[in-house]
Amino acid sequence: MAEYNTDPDKLPRLGRMLLWVDKPGSANKLFWGLAILCGLLFLLDFTYEHHGHFDMENIPGFYGIYGFVMFTGLILVAKALRVLIKRPEDYYGDKAVDGEEYPAEKLGKETHDGL
Amino acid sequence: MGFDTSLIAGFPTAFLFFIAAAILPLFPHGKIRGVFMLVVPIIAALMIWSIGFGNFAQIPFFGFDLELMRVDGLSRIFTLVFCLAAFLGNMYALHLRDTTQQVAALLYAGSAIGAALAGDLITLFFYWEGTAIASVFLIWARGTEGAFNTGMRYLIIQIGSGVVLIAGVALFFRETGSIAFERMTLGSLGTWLIFLSFGVKCAFPLMHNWLQDSYPAATVTGTVILSAFTTKLAVYALARGFAGTEILIYIGVVMTLFPIFFAEIENDLRRVLAYSLNNQLGFMVVGIGIGTEMALNGTASHAFAHILYKALLFMSVGAVLFRTGTSKASELGGLYRTMPLTAMFCLVGAASISAFPLFSGFVTKSLVLGETANAHYQWVWLALVFASAGVLSHSGIKIPFFMFFAHDSGMRPKESPRHMLIAMGITAFLCIYIGVFPQTLYAILPFEMDYQPYTMGHVVGQLQLLLFALLAFGMLMRTGIHPPEIRAVNLDTDWTYRKAAPSVIGLAARGIAVIWNAQIGFLNRHMNGMIARLNHSHGPEGRMAREWPTGAMVIAIAGLLAATMVVGFL
Repeated sequence: MAEYNTDPDKLPRLGRMLLWVDKPGSANKLFWGLAILCGLLFLLDFTYEHHGHFDMENIPGFYGIYGFVMFTGLILVAKALRVLIKRPEDYYGDKAVDGEEYPAEKLGKETHDGL
Repeated sequence: MGFDTSLIAGFPTAFLFFIAAAILPLFPHGKIRGVFMLVVPIIAALMIWSIGFGNFAQIPFFGFDLELMRVDGLSRIFTLVFCLAAFLGNMYALHLRDTTQQVAALLYAGSAIGAALAGDLITLFFYWEGTAIASVFLIWARGTEGAFNTGMRYLIIQIGSGVVLIAGVALFFRETGSIAFERMTLGSLGTWLIFLSFGVKCAFPLMHNWLQDSYPAATVTGTVILSAFTTKLAVYALARGFAGTEILIYIGVVMTLFPIFFAEIENDLRRVLAYSLNNQLGFMVVGIGIGTEMALNGTASHAFAHILYKALLFMSVGAVLFRTGTSKASELGGLYRTMPLTAMFCLVGAASISAFPLFSGFVTKSLVLGETANAHYQWVWLALVFASAGVLSHSGIKIPFFMFFAHDSGMRPKESPRHMLIAMGITAFLCIYIGVFPQTLYAILPFEMDYQPYTMGHVVGQLQLLLFALLAFGMLMRTGIHPPEIRAVNLDTDWTYRKAAPSVIGLAARGIAVIWNAQIGFLNRHMNGMIARLNHSHGPEGRMAREWPTGAMVIAIAGLLAATMVVGFL
């Protein structure tokens, strides 16, 4: 990975606090934390009386399983769709916005102080 | 409330915006003009809020009575949120020194509000076209050739929608003798045309692509303003005119589903948001299709919440574009380091659109989903729950993750300008406020209702859906199955008129050229032959033009005389 300017002392305070997410192992902690949370939510389904409108809603963990399966399916289908419809960025020629730069004079491009 | 309503009764709110747009250029650029841009929507909102329900402005027009100011539960909530969106959008655009965009923003907001307050179809038509014409300047203001071309496509489709509308209105008037804008039943050609014209602006499937084509082409601030009005005006018009039309349920379901696949693989984050907007409209359209009071409340409240969180998301992506010059996921990443506040506001928008409990989307989408279940549309309901997980994937995860987190792009842009942070801050606050105190929003819905979104089953179910989907995302990222962000464009229906139609026309032109050339060639060759033959007989060397000796003439005359003599002797 390229070396970028990441002098933490020069970042805004909130940005400095968030640097935790890029520490080695943090992504793992987040993932497993999420997995534990999901497990707890699944168990929670056994603790209260369901009033779902459809029978399937009363299956414990219905929403979790449905969400997991459909999300995965969505990503896989989208990936397949990309094979069909992906085109180079200049596909619509040079008179389309996709290949254009946004006019710089209409922006406020600035770099963070000291970086 | 506050001031004497008799003064403002009879004065259409839309005119306030038009007058403001007319006098705006008199103010010098800077603070005064900025404050003016913010005050106008506040006054408009106070007007609508304090005037009460009723019809307040009738004007005669070629034998018709136009109703310019119909305030009731449905028009009030839409116009109020339009005022709010105009205020927030103008706040976000406070740095602009561009009179065109400022005037366009005022005219656009005024037209949308005027259309939502229109009590008859002719007034609706005027404002309908007004939104089209005013808004295109927010695209053209980018000032590039690409933006100009996109703007032309946008304008053709938007104006086209108005033309279809007025055709429908004319037929509808001939059929019923009325121009009142009330609930209609699909059946005659007139009502179908009106329906179609609403559908174009509402981005129905196959008529949707103007949205994804144009919103990413507009200016940084223009897109924020565009995102609020046109499509929600169409939602309002459908809710007013076609509530309970069953076909809308199925149209709505398709709208919630197909954009989530496109959004997933789109690189330009403003286009991702345009697809996501399309998907959100689907939920509202389903609500209209079901058409019960509760479902219409769901649609209206979802439109209200949606305008806010969608504006917030467009603001955060716009701020990144403003600071870095790009809104492409493939180029961005790791910006939380120097733009942490923008990242936080973006996350609030993401949580709201994904309908996490305590955020605005949760308390409004539940109404639509609940009514779908109450009406026993099981497959529709399943599709909507799936679409809710899909919303999480592109708007909830992709937008904040690939912009502010993921890999470090090395960019170290400065935090957003203060006025943008204030605009995002207010919007984020409202998203959370509505989520935590939903009854405040429920109180201004078109119909009275008693609804409690925070039940155990509901909260746990929604959290399960979202967190398990998030878990799936984590797994797909860890295994490398999740599709990477790459520089590319994806085909959509705009391909038909940006590629297919031009190439068909090109092909036809070539075909016509071939036939034309063959015909000219044929004529040329035969004309030449004819000229040669004429030349042969009549030309200088031709038999008819040959010089004959005078003796030949004498012989001819002698012959003639001989013949005369013979005839005389007979």
